[in-house]
Amino acid sequence: MIGIVVVSHSHALANAAIGLAAEMVAADNRPVIAVAAGLDATTFGTDAMAVSEAITTADSPDGVLVLLDLGSAVLSAELALEFVDPDVASHVRLTSAPLVEGLVAAVVTASTGASLAAVAAEAERGLLGKQDHLGGGGGVEAAAVAATDQTVEVVVGNEHGLHARPAARLVGLVNSFDAVVTLTDLDTGRGPIDAGSLSMVATLNAQQGHRLRVGASGRQAAEVLAAIGELAAENFGDEPTAAGQTGSRAAGSLASGSGLDVAIGPAVIAGAGVDLNDYVAGGDEAARLDGAVATVAEELGRLRDASPEHGGIFEAHLALLKDRKPLDEIRAAIAAGTPAPVGWKQTYDDLAKTFEGLDDAYQRERAQDVRAVRDRVLRALTGATVDEAADGGILVVPELDAATAATLAAAKVAGIAVRAAGTTGHGVIVARSRGIPLITGIGDVAVPAGATVAFDARAGSFEVAPDEDAVRRTITERQTERERAIEEADQPATTVDGRTIAVLVNVGSVQDAVEARGADGSGLVRTEVLFGDRRTAPSVDEQAEQFRAIARALQEKPITIRTWDIGGDKPLPFLPQDQEANPFLGERGLRVFRRRPQLLRDQLEAVRRVAAETPVHVMFPMVTTADEVAWALDELGPRPDGLEVGIMVEVPAAALRIDTLAAGLDFVSIGTNDLTQYTTAADRTNTAVAPLADGLDPAVLQLIDHVVRRAGVRVAICGDLASDPQAAVLLAALGVDELSAVGPQVPLVKERLRHADLGQIDTAAVLAARDATQVRGLL
Amino acid sequence: MGVDNFVNWLRDAAGSLHDNAAYLTELDSAIGDADHGANMDRGFRAIVALLDETSFETVDELMKKAGMTLVSKVGGASGPLYGTFFLRFGTALAGADLTPATIGEAFTAGVGGILQRGKAELGDKTMYDAWAPALDAYDAAVAGGADLAGALTAAAEAAAKGRDATVPLVARKGRASYLGERSAGHQDPGATSTTLLLESAARTLP
Repeated sequence: MIGIVVVSHSHALANAAIGLAAEMVAADNRPVIAVAAGLDATTFGTDAMAVSEAITTADSPDGVLVLLDLGSAVLSAELALEFVDPDVASHVRLTSAPLVEGLVAAVVTASTGASLAAVAAEAERGLLGKQDHLGGGGGVEAAAVAATDQTVEVVVGNEHGLHARPAARLVGLVNSFDAVVTLTDLDTGRGPIDAGSLSMVATLNAQQGHRLRVGASGRQAAEVLAAIGELAAENFGDEPTAAGQTGSRAAGSLASGSGLDVAIGPAVIAGAGVDLNDYVAGGDEAARLDGAVATVAEELGRLRDASPEHGGIFEAHLALLKDRKPLDEIRAAIAAGTPAPVGWKQTYDDLAKTFEGLDDAYQRERAQDVRAVRDRVLRALTGATVDEAADGGILVVPELDAATAATLAAAKVAGIAVRAAGTTGHGVIVARSRGIPLITGIGDVAVPAGATVAFDARAGSFEVAPDEDAVRRTITERQTERERAIEEADQPATTVDGRTIAVLVNVGSVQDAVEARGADGSGLVRTEVLFGDRRTAPSVDEQAEQFRAIARALQEKPITIRTWDIGGDKPLPFLPQDQEANPFLGERGLRVFRRRPQLLRDQLEAVRRVAAETPVHVMFPMVTTADEVAWALDELGPRPDGLEVGIMVEVPAAALRIDTLAAGLDFVSIGTNDLTQYTTAADRTNTAVAPLADGLDPAVLQLIDHVVRRAGVRVAICGDLASDPQAAVLLAALGVDELSAVGPQVPLVKERLRHADLGQIDTAAVLAARDATQVRGLL
Repeated sequence: MGVDNFVNWLRDAAGSLHDNAAYLTELDSAIGDADHGANMDRGFRAIVALLDETSFETVDELMKKAGMTLVSKVGGASGPLYGTFFLRFGTALAGADLTPATIGEAFTAGVGGILQRGKAELGDKTMYDAWAPALDAYDAAVAGGADLAGALTAAAEAAAKGRDATVPLVARKGRASYLGERSAGHQDPGATSTTLLLESAARTLP
């Protein structure tokens, strides 16, 4: 898909134009749209450097179309082409198309996968509809129409006729088939026009009740006519649908697991690679490769669409799959007589090695993605089936990537045992949030495929051929415990010695809030996840609407909105960042917005709006200095009554001087994952050192203890530690007021707190312990 | 003669544009979008900030960096136009001895960039109407044996005449062109800022 750049004097104008165009196409189908507009949010002007950066952001092998307003926008865009890589510049096109109409036409046409030339032509015809309507236009050539050999008639049922959005649906559908399609309005006699062109369909101006003759020719003529018949029967997608579907999940695709920490079942060994020994090469290796790549592309597209929350992972896999450079290499190898799977494997193995050799941990982790794509295509080539954990099986994997964790049938797999240690990798976090029983760090223990295995993450045990009866008794006990916990989820978490701890839920989607049981609100709304599947920044209205929906799902209990927490390992498509050698120590969280505050300002506007309607707290991530706190408060401006403000404590420096930072705040919330990795200087994504990054390390607990004693305001925990019932009790004993856990763990955390006597916990001994193992022994 | 002369020029030009910002904006409000003074002032203040925190070894490095600063900070069409001017000016002086002849070639290269970017012709009521006679006067002075001071003074005087000659013209480029005949009777802001730049050069560069 081509990328699009909007150059304008005005930041507001560019964003509004994009908003208008974006409405036409589903979020997951939009091209990347980058903006270079205004010198800042309010100063009119254009900046050639910013244009060149936007072009680089939107760059795609399919090309980039640049739409611009007037005057310096044109000069700056031309100059920008001198700044970008000549290879990139060679496939960039500056268009004289009108900004608004051209952008709408370009976004719709680009979303169908059309070529740069086709998108540019459509954009340049963007005025046709308006000229035709108002008369006196002209000068723009209508698209030529080919003769067609099959026809059907459909009726326009839509109340407002074939207006922009239904027209866009029709054009998108037409362009997904290998056929030429024309439309003639039999009631007005207009046409035939090219149905693959949005501007031409718009000029048809077909009203409700008009009969259209649809003509088609080409290889898929019959198919496309049938599909158009169906689309027309559905009023071209204009049926009143439940509003605000974006961001919600496909029903059923993410049903959750048992939520237990113990499991038993036959071992399913995965990640061992695909066996190529039985592959018989033929004379059509290149065609087989193309077929396999197409199959996998379809598979990945389906996976992406089915799980918007993790769509980014599959989008990345698609990009890897379609990377031309390795494909060219493989085609050359095939031409030289290498069988397709051998060539594919060789090239992707090399690519994975290249990633593994990089300095940057985030890039290193991409090797996992390369291997995942490699194996998908190899399976498609060899016909091997994926070792899906059969009903009730335990998946044993060397490492758990987020894609696997996101797509396993959570309700079917009994559990996952990960050989690598580390409890904070992406895959582990995803699996845990889905309630799949999980144990990490089982090491090299020999596990024969199909052997019965069991684990108990609470006890830290993994057994081959276990005492099945004993395990099943434990499972029954835990189930009872869980059921009771869920039954009593709405009871407050008051400990035996009479302290009541607020237990809240972490949410990354409205669905998370809907599914939560017993939560006293949300202690962490991950806004970057909530809108992580978006290619363009959400508007203030859209953000406010999502925040409201979360608050409603939690019965208007307080929700804590964390401002965009991006950078490090969490880039956002609509806020490109410079490459950093060390992103975890670079522009993360609040730091990102010191130079470019606009996205943050929009978000704070949405927060203030919703705070006037329902209890809302806001917190800023990755704060280090009092200066940053002052800046953030300044950006927030005057706050409505009841809007509480806090910061996250993830940086040891912030923990140590919490009394300085918390002055003037209402609360602080400790992000234990980052605090742990910064305190232990251990990268949670690097399996070699991940065991060092243990949240129960006494050094981390000492910092938490320090924060509790010195903050002078409410102290919350929203990191993973709060989701571990055992750790939760310890945190409460240290004096933490509030815990925010992943959904499935909320009832369990509350249940455990209700049975805990905090006075019995020797916090002095815990803080003085020599390591995390000793801490666990004391609990 | 060295980098310092050019630093002085840029600082002096910044002062002159700052002092004349209101005047330039007034000219621009008659036939444009009333931002030329503010835009130029913003761009050159950014150059001064750059000079305050960075020292430059070579003229080409200095002028290119100044050009990039204008590209990013000016905002209006004069950003890419003057930005390109300084970028080309700097490039032309890379490794060259600083003589009236080489500096003249640098001016010619810079104005070539303005033409390529803006596609203006003589009489379009643009900054080129000041640049074109200035280049001719500079080259003629150098050919006649003038030193740098003499050549720049001649250029600045010619630019001022060109600037004054823009008054009766009808604009054919930029925002002023939307006004058509109504743009006649007003002095072009771009030709005015060009003249200020050259007058500053005559004061400080030699």
